Amino acid sequence: MAKNPLHTKFCDLLGIEYPIIAFTHCKDVVAAVVNAGGFAVLGEAMHTPDEIAADIKWIRSRVGQKPFGIDLVLPASAPTADTLEKLLAGIPEEHRRFAESIKKKYDVPEPKGQQALHQWGGLNQEIARKQLDVILEERAPVFVSGLGSPAFIIKAAHERGMKIFGLIGKTRQAKREIEAGVDVIVAQGYDAAGHTGPIGTFSIVPEVAAIAGDVPVIAAGGVTTGQHLAAALCLGASGVWTGTLWLASRESDNDMIIKEKLIAATSDDTVYSKSVSGFPMRVLRCPWTEEWARPEAPRTLGSPYQMLLSSDYIQAANDHRRADLMFEAAGQGVAFVTAMKPARQIVADLVEEALSVFENLTGESAG
Amino acid sequence: MSQDPIPAVTGFDPVVAGRYAECDGGGMVPGTGLASREEFAGTLTGDYVDHGDPPWRWYLLADLVRSPEGYPGAAVWCESGSLFVMDRPEERP
Repeated sequence: MAKNPLHTKFCDLLGIEYPIIAFTHCKDVVAAVVNAGGFAVLGEAMHTPDEIAADIKWIRSRVGQKPFGIDLVLPASAPTADTLEKLLAGIPEEHRRFAESIKKKYDVPEPKGQQALHQWGGLNQEIARKQLDVILEERAPVFVSGLGSPAFIIKAAHERGMKIFGLIGKTRQAKREIEAGVDVIVAQGYDAAGHTGPIGTFSIVPEVAAIAGDVPVIAAGGVTTGQHLAAALCLGASGVWTGTLWLASRESDNDMIIKEKLIAATSDDTVYSKSVSGFPMRVLRCPWTEEWARPEAPRTLGSPYQMLLSSDYIQAANDHRRADLMFEAAGQGVAFVTAMKPARQIVADLVEEALSVFENLTGESAG
Repeated sequence: MSQDPIPAVTGFDPVVAGRYAECDGGGMVPGTGLASREEFAGTLTGDYVDHGDPPWRWYLLADLVRSPEGYPGAAVWCESGSLFVMDRPEERP
C-alpha cells in the first residue's frame, strides 16, 4: 500500500501523526494523547474563564507547540429567564413523590455538599461569552463548539491564528457552518454518549462528507476501536472523535468505581433515557434510569424540571461513592472499553487495529 | 477575568419579524458537563440581542409550534447561526 491510509488531510491541517481526537474533561488525558501523536480536546463548559486560562497554560507546559483544543457548549437556544425557586415550584407533586420513593427504596443519602447543578456551568449567553473571550485571549490552538454555531467568532479566531471546529448533529448545520468558514466539521451520530442528534453515525458521516468539499469531516459517536476508525475513513471521514474511550484510561480522573463500571459494561448496558435531564441522553443504566422506565412511573418532565428532580440523586451518589447508584454518560462503543490502559497505549492500539483492517482489505502492508 | 458584564445591545430587525423559523437549539445541561440538542419552530418577533464584540446575535422565537416535551416557556431565544428561516409548512409546495 503506497500511502499510509491513516495520514489524512486532518493530519496535514494540524501537523499531527494520527487522525484521532480524544474528547475529555481531564487535562492529563489531553497531554498524554497529544504527546502520543493524536489530537485532544478539553471540555471546559463547566469551568470559569480563570480556570480555562490556567488549563490552557498547563497543557501548553506539557505539550509545547503541539496543537490541542478547548471545547465549550455554546448555547444555541435559551429559555426566557425564570428563578430557581419558580422552577422548583413548577415540579408536580406526583413527580416529587416518585423521586422520593426511589431515594427511599435505594436508601439514597442526602448530598454532602452544594449541588453541582447550582454551580457555574455555561448556563447562559453571558457566561458562555466570557468563557469564549478567554479562549480567544489565550489563543488556544483550536476552539471546538460542542453545540451551537461558532460562525460569529470564526473571523476573530482566524485573525489570532486559531482554528475552529464545529460539532453538528444534522447536515443542514454542517452546511451552515462550512459556509461560515469552520476549519473542521465533527459529525456526531446517535451512538454517542450523552445528548446526541437523532441520526446514526453511519448515516450522518457520509452525508456530511458529501457536502464538505475540502473541509475535513470527523466521525463521532460509538467510536472505540481501530475498526471504527477504519470504517469512518471508508465513510469519507478524515478522522474520528472519541469520548467514552478515555473515561477509563489510566490518566482519567474519573472515580475508580465509574472506571470499573465502564470496563464491565456492554453496549446493552447503556440506555437512552430522559430521566436524568429531561432530554434523551445515553448513559449507563442505574437505579434512577430503571425506575423511571417502569410502566407505573410518571412521565418524565422536560428540562430543567427533570434535572432538578434528579440532581439530589446524582450528587448523593457521587458524594458518598455509592457504586450501586453511580452512573456516567457512555456511548454504545463502551463494550470495547475492556481495560484501564494508558492513553498512549489506547492511541497505539487504535492505530494498529485500523492498519490491520486496511491490510486485510487490500492484502498489502499498510502504514 | 473581568467582572464587568458583557455588553448586550437590544434591537429590532423588521426583515425577519413575522417569519417562520426552525431552531436547531440546545445548550448545557446544568451540572453534567454535557450538551443537549433540542428543536424549536415558531415565528420570529424581530427582537434581537447582540452579546459582546464581535456581536453574538440572538433572536426571539415566539408562537412556538414545536418545542421539546415539557418545555416551560411560550418563547425561546435562538442563536442566529442555529436559526433556519423558511416558509411556513402550509405554504411549502
